[in-house]
Amino acid sequence: MEYQHKRGTPKSRIRNKMETLKVKAFGMVAEKLPEQEFAFPPQTDTAAFLANLYLEYPELKDIKFSLAVDRKLVNEKTALQGGEEIALLPPFSGG
Amino acid sequence: MNRFARQTILPGFGKEGQEKLASARILVVGAGGLGCPVLLHLAAAGIGTIGIADGDSINESNLNRQTLFGQQHIGMPKAETAAAILKEKYPDITFRVFPEFLNPQNALEVIGDYDLVLDGSDNFGTRYLVNDACVLLEKPLVMGAIYQYEGQVMVFNFGKDPVNYRDLYPDHPQGQQVPNCSETGVLGVLPGIIGTLQATEAIKVLTGIGKVLAGKMLFYNMKDAAFYEIAVQHNPLSRKKIPVSIEAFRSKNYDINCGTPEEISWEKAMDWTRNMDSSLLVDIREPQEEPLIEKEGIIKIPMGNLREDPERLSHYENVLLFCRSGQRSGILATELKQRFPEKKIFSVKGGILHPSSPLNSTENETKT
Repeated sequence: MEYQHKRGTPKSRIRNKMETLKVKAFGMVAEKLPEQEFAFPPQTDTAAFLANLYLEYPELKDIKFSLAVDRKLVNEKTALQGGEEIALLPPFSGG
Repeated sequence: MNRFARQTILPGFGKEGQEKLASARILVVGAGGLGCPVLLHLAAAGIGTIGIADGDSINESNLNRQTLFGQQHIGMPKAETAAAILKEKYPDITFRVFPEFLNPQNALEVIGDYDLVLDGSDNFGTRYLVNDACVLLEKPLVMGAIYQYEGQVMVFNFGKDPVNYRDLYPDHPQGQQVPNCSETGVLGVLPGIIGTLQATEAIKVLTGIGKVLAGKMLFYNMKDAAFYEIAVQHNPLSRKKIPVSIEAFRSKNYDINCGTPEEISWEKAMDWTRNMDSSLLVDIREPQEEPLIEKEGIIKIPMGNLREDPERLSHYENVLLFCRSGQRSGILATELKQRFPEKKIFSVKGGILHPSSPLNSTENETKT
């Protein structure tokens, strides 16, 4: 069961409404946060997630980044069930 | 044994794979930290025609990561130098040098000649420009980008249901959102890895081997030795942001480098320098860069030195910076303006190469 939880695809994962979100930050976004990876209270959808993330870390408003939920880019408001992995992905410009 | 024996004996690659590389025409945008490993590997792999677009010159602080170049190349133009070095190694490859930065006027013409484009540029303006041009021309684009200890690799306009950069980031970052236009720190090995991944994906696109990283974005973090891959979906905004036609592309403004620097003409710059004691005209090129300019009123402080010790400017009200093309002076002017918001800090438009530059006569003679 433990193995299943860690490695299972999102579909096979049994979600618990109370399960916290796992947030992973990249690049400049990670610099504005105390941790590169952290847990966040469960949210109903990505818009609520962002609103609460900005409340906690207002500095993030100055940075452009995209969101991926369970390693899929999301462009529009997407429902969350709890337990998702949310990646904060800024563009990089260096070469 | 021929040069490619070790790859032609590979199952699934074979002579056919090699022939595909030999007949391929690729364009590398930016011969810098990413462009160098891209060029080294794709030239070694036996690509037939390689175009190199870069308007910059080599400076000493490039050498930790721009592995084609050495101490003896400081001050020399990147695109020409890279082509000359590789041509010496592999005389049978055709190299095409485009010693300028891409812009909306020249990009479609330059890119149109190639089968595939690799973007290793160092600013968002060029990234969006190259992306939009490749969408319009339906050219596969292998993009790589770095930020401190992390990198990104993406393959656009390829495969079923292709995506592009604007599906990820519909608009370019503005103002404060632009992650430091000034150069940030980088360990040379990071662009080495990201550029090598780009070269790998280019070979896969061209030969059809393996599964191309299309429709995905791959992140790499060298500190954690971690890869992270996400699937990219279509963003309805993307199509709206890409120019609909060649005409619309040519008139679009892609100048978003880092907040735009204030520019000044050569005429005005010379006039201010001559007539105002509070004005300082600074040559920010590397000491070895040609043409060497010894002229009254012009002082030489290389870009790196000025960054380290900006206080040298504290006595002047107007600071006028120039370099070869106006690119570096533009970047430095924006940085210094943040340090000294009360001063007037200008980049001399077009640099030494500008037609109205009083300094460009020797440059033209040696170039042609």
